[in-house]
Amino acid sequence: MIGNDIVDLVQAAIDSNWKRKGYLDKIFNTEEQFMITSGIHPSMIIWLLWSMKESAYKIYSREAKLREFAPLKLQCSNLIIHNDTATGNVSYENELYHTASFFDENYIHTIASTKLEELEKVEIKITDRALFDYKKTKPASVSHHGAYLALVYL
Amino acid sequence: MDRAELIARLTPIIATYAQDKDAVASINENTDFIKDLKINSANLVDVVLDVEEEFDIEIDNVSMERMLNVSAAMEIIEDKLKSK
Repeated sequence: MIGNDIVDLVQAAIDSNWKRKGYLDKIFNTEEQFMITSGIHPSMIIWLLWSMKESAYKIYSREAKLREFAPLKLQCSNLIIHNDTATGNVSYENELYHTASFFDENYIHTIASTKLEELEKVEIKITDRALFDYKKTKPASVSHHGAYLALVYL
Repeated sequence: MDRAELIARLTPIIATYAQDKDAVASINENTDFIKDLKINSANLVDVVLDVEEEFDIEIDNVSMERMLNVSAAMEIIEDKLKSK
C-alpha cells in the first residue's frame, strides 16, 4: 500500500506558526528537533518531516482502520537530503515505512510504502487544485493542501 | 464547569482553525475536527495548545492521540481539570 502527502509551503506559512511555544515538542522528538534546528532551513525540514509522518500515517490508518493524532509515535530516521529530493524512514507501531520526497520553493511532496521497490514504480501527478473528477482515474493515494492536489498511481 | 460552559469556551478555539465555517455553526459533541470541520491536521496541534492555555491544563501525548472530536476534547478537558 502507498501513502502520500503534499504540503503547500505558502499555505503552511499562513496557517501554522511553528515558532509558537510548545508546537515543535508536540510533533517532533529530540532527534527530529535537532535535524530542524541544525540546518539553515528549519521550516523546510519541519514540513519535510511532517509530510513523511503524514504519508506513513495514511497507510497505517487505512490498514488498521484506526484514527489517532500521534505525531510523536511516528518517528523519522535515516533522512538523506539531496538537491530537491529526500529519502528516509518512518517507524510507527512496529512497522517500518520507506519514504521518498520531492521539494521546491512551492511545495513538499512525500510518498511512503513498506516496500522500497514500490516507491520507484509509482506514477505521481501533482496539479493545481483543479476541479476535475480525479476519482475516475482511480488513484492509489490522494492528498490535497492549499493550492495543490497530489495523486499517486500504482 | 458545566458542559454548556465548556463547549462555549471550546467552540471559539476550534472555530479559528475550521475550514468549513458552516459546520462551525452546528458544532455539537459529535462533531469531528477533521471530517466535519476540515481542520488541517497540522492545526490540531494549535487546537491542543490553545486548549491548554484556555483551561490552564497540560494535555499529555496519550490524551492528544484521541483528541479528534468535540466529545473527546471535552472528556480530556474535564479529566485534566479534575486532576488539577
